[in-house]
Amino acid sequence: MNSFNSLIDGFASALTLSNLGFGLLGTFLGTLVGVLPGIGPALAIALLLPITYTVSPASALIMFAAIYYGAMYGGSTTSILLNTPGESGSVITALEGNKMARNGRAGAALATAAIGSFVAGTIATLILAFTAPTIADLAIKVGAADYVALMLVAFTTVSSLLGASQIRGFISLAVGLVLGLVGADLQSGLSRLTFGNQAAVEGIETVPVIVSIFALGEALYIASRFKELGWNIIPMKGKALMTRDDWKRSWKPWLRGTALGFPLGVIPAGGSEVPTFLSYSVEKKLSKNPEEFGHGAIEGVAGPEAANNANAAGALVPLLALGLPTSATAAVILVAFQTYQIQPGPTLFLTNGALIWTLIASLFIGNTLLLVLNLPLVRVWVQLLKVPRPYLFAGIVTFAMLGAYALNTSTFDVEVAIAIGIVGFLFRRFGMPITPLILGLILGPNLELQFRRALQISAGDYGTLWASPLSKVLYAVLLLALFTPIITRVMKKVRKDAHA
Amino acid sequence: MGSLFLLGLIVFWDTARTELPAFNLTVSPKVFPFAIAILLMALSALLFINILRGDTAIPEGLEAGDPVEKSDYKTFALVLASLFAFLLLIERAGFIIAASITFFGITVAFDNKKHLRAAVFGTLFITVIYFSFTHFLHVQLPAGILKGI
Repeated sequence: MNSFNSLIDGFASALTLSNLGFGLLGTFLGTLVGVLPGIGPALAIALLLPITYTVSPASALIMFAAIYYGAMYGGSTTSILLNTPGESGSVITALEGNKMARNGRAGAALATAAIGSFVAGTIATLILAFTAPTIADLAIKVGAADYVALMLVAFTTVSSLLGASQIRGFISLAVGLVLGLVGADLQSGLSRLTFGNQAAVEGIETVPVIVSIFALGEALYIASRFKELGWNIIPMKGKALMTRDDWKRSWKPWLRGTALGFPLGVIPAGGSEVPTFLSYSVEKKLSKNPEEFGHGAIEGVAGPEAANNANAAGALVPLLALGLPTSATAAVILVAFQTYQIQPGPTLFLTNGALIWTLIASLFIGNTLLLVLNLPLVRVWVQLLKVPRPYLFAGIVTFAMLGAYALNTSTFDVEVAIAIGIVGFLFRRFGMPITPLILGLILGPNLELQFRRALQISAGDYGTLWASPLSKVLYAVLLLALFTPIITRVMKKVRKDAHA
Repeated sequence: MGSLFLLGLIVFWDTARTELPAFNLTVSPKVFPFAIAILLMALSALLFINILRGDTAIPEGLEAGDPVEKSDYKTFALVLASLFAFLLLIERAGFIIAASITFFGITVAFDNKKHLRAAVFGTLFITVIYFSFTHFLHVQLPAGILKGI
């Protein structure tokens, strides 16, 4: 019961008055930013990063946990009432929840989303608390070569599973890797891609990149498609409550969603898109009234929302245990750790044990705070949607610039931010997914490090890269992830030709 | 067609940029950039072939076959100009002035008719942000020419 005791200690340190205050502030800010249309959890956390620059690591991480869950809650509210999902994981919620809202059932949709997220979040965090240390124990035995394989698998799955085009996914990844190269090489000190710029030797900061690729990219993209402002908020009647029947129809989807979401978060399956879609189709199949799906079935909100939250908690397992982010949001959290010179990975539970248990405990606390705060306050959040859109964008953009500048108080970071904002715009315009870029930027240097380490141990023998059984399995997975989309496409084409 | 040409341009730009790491060969800190450069060039070529075969770029949020609207360059340019204004002014004029101008510029870009209200609101908002960051969060932001007031 070692985990259990540590967790109790974690609660003890998370429940101090000031930490609780940071948690409360985090839930508030997270929901606030998450509710704003077009802002998903990844951007919400990235935007709020500057706020944590000066607080202590424990308080900052507690705030993050709260922002993380808060942004997801906020996002589902917007999806349901506005039909503008902030990230791929809420697409389904927007689909079915918005239909419910149109039928005057906004309250029930919001309630099932919030309670489902709470249930899923709590169960998933509990599993996280008991599995992550075990995985970290195992991971200590994982060698440098295995890490190389592991990261390559993460790259491949994220690049080929997200978005419609595999090539575009990989191009996005490659651009991220190039950005990761900029600066002095860690081992030799050689300057790479700096073009004589002194500020660039330090490397490209990840925070401005993430903020600007989402926020500035979005603002520029919206500007380029600019037609008219304003949107359709569906008025919410009554309270965010569920009837007896709603409960009866919701609890099983919540649990099934959790069961689907968590494991798919642990393995690098490309974020929350897959589990939410899976959960939706499972619920549709199991439902007694499948004809309601597409017209506002509560199961279609309950399941995917639970899956989305459980997925988010699941993504923390590889992040904490291996230092391997599997989604854009997890990547942002990794960056948050790094600002405190904390490197997530197998040794994290040993070196920063107390801190991590505080974080896990605060995930529980944040989740509870959100449920208590948000259901009664949902009307207040809805008011936020009435902020005029020009102000909204102006606020987001200035905040993004502030974040970029304040990190090192350097104009170089602002230059980078603007350049990346343009890249983000072009990516959006030409249908390139963004997550692979972020993963490439963050993991690229790490990959190079492990790659060299492996080769140094083997004295330059490249065979070491696939010598261990684990790496062999991982490369098999990699090939599978790489070729499955191609094979299915060819199969489809063959079938189509056969019909023609 | 415009988008196709632009995408070709990006591909070209990508390839051109990656030539630099391609100079770096053999020695260990150069292996990795070289590999990435090859990867990027190969992918660009693949994408180019795909485009020639009719796989045009689809903007995010649209399905294949949806009409792609013409871009609104005026709004786009205004937003971009606001960003550059921040870059140029942040250390010369200070955070409050730089950020207020950026804020105002973007509201103008997004067709806000009430210019005065936007300017007043933006400046107030930025001032509040400035003081909450410098005083409560202890994040240093340049005061610029307003220093001492």
